[in-house]
Amino acid sequence: MDPQLTSLAVSEKDTVAIEDCLERLIGDTNANYSILLDKSGQVIASRGDTQRQDITALGALLAGTFASSREVARLLREKDFRVLFQQGVKENIFTELIEEQWMLVVMFDKRTHIGLVKVLAKRATDELGRVLQQVRVQSRQRDAVISTSFRTSVEDTIDLLFRD
Amino acid sequence: MALINVAAREIHCKIVYYGPGLCGKTTNLKYIHSAVPGQAKGDLISIATETERTLFFDFLPLDLGQVHGFQTRIHLFTVPGQVLYERTRVAVLNGADGVVFVADSQRHKLQEDVQSLQELARNVTLMGKKFLEFPLVMQYNKRDLENALPVEVMDRYLNSIRVPRYEASASSGVGVFDTLKAISKLVISKL
Repeated sequence: MDPQLTSLAVSEKDTVAIEDCLERLIGDTNANYSILLDKSGQVIASRGDTQRQDITALGALLAGTFASSREVARLLREKDFRVLFQQGVKENIFTELIEEQWMLVVMFDKRTHIGLVKVLAKRATDELGRVLQQVRVQSRQRDAVISTSFRTSVEDTIDLLFRD
Repeated sequence: MALINVAAREIHCKIVYYGPGLCGKTTNLKYIHSAVPGQAKGDLISIATETERTLFFDFLPLDLGQVHGFQTRIHLFTVPGQVLYERTRVAVLNGADGVVFVADSQRHKLQEDVQSLQELARNVTLMGKKFLEFPLVMQYNKRDLENALPVEVMDRYLNSIRVPRYEASASSGVGVFDTLKAISKLVISKL
């Protein structure tokens, strides 16, 4: 990972590949929902039950939980906890790290089994890891999206919105 | 690291408010939440103890709306300031695009400010970033209190690296938006 890379640009082609992968994972596991998060908690893509709300807050909280568990791992001198499982009464959450950058989240209930989710999530993280690799390469070459005029417009919007 | 989603036409950035315990990080977010127009903000989520001390983080998503066809979002986080929670701060700092360091201006808090800033520099470096190049804005908070140190003294101890700094009194909102504007623009300039 290039720590000096300041942004990750996900192209339309990569988004399609990611969404296909999430869709397939939900179909094959019979899970309710699947989200791809970046480690800072930003939602890159999500698939499944469209009624679900507050995905933004969910992303921030799940990434926080994962980051916290990573620190626990460090204290235990573990290399990493790559998987996190939260068991609820109605719904469970399975989270798996994709390299060091992304997280795959699968939400499922009693219509499926943790073992199946685990195996198929592993397959999906391998596939998503390959997409991530492409995204990194493209992000180093990107500059079309963020133009000077875009920056100026964002600054104007900031001045307009952020005031007493 | 900011995220640019070309298909969804979205840009996301993460800004973290860092600083010693009770310096006013959560107060900054509460003021922003109260003053930003409804369509531009989400719910303020606080993971706090029963005594309202931050346990994990506060989270406030801001939505700048469409800019050049891109939905631009800024997510604000605070870290828990108490010394005990150092590893939690590392976890929240993960993936940040910029930091606001909130210093408590009270005379007896200077040492805590200095220690917290040193810890921030260490943690940013551990993330693989160069601290001197990392988007950072400083806020000297609680300027309204009688025992506030002169700004020149705070500059000497906290801002030898000469990043933009703002005087504030977050509880009444003074300086809160100046700080937010400065860090937001700095983060966008680095995208």
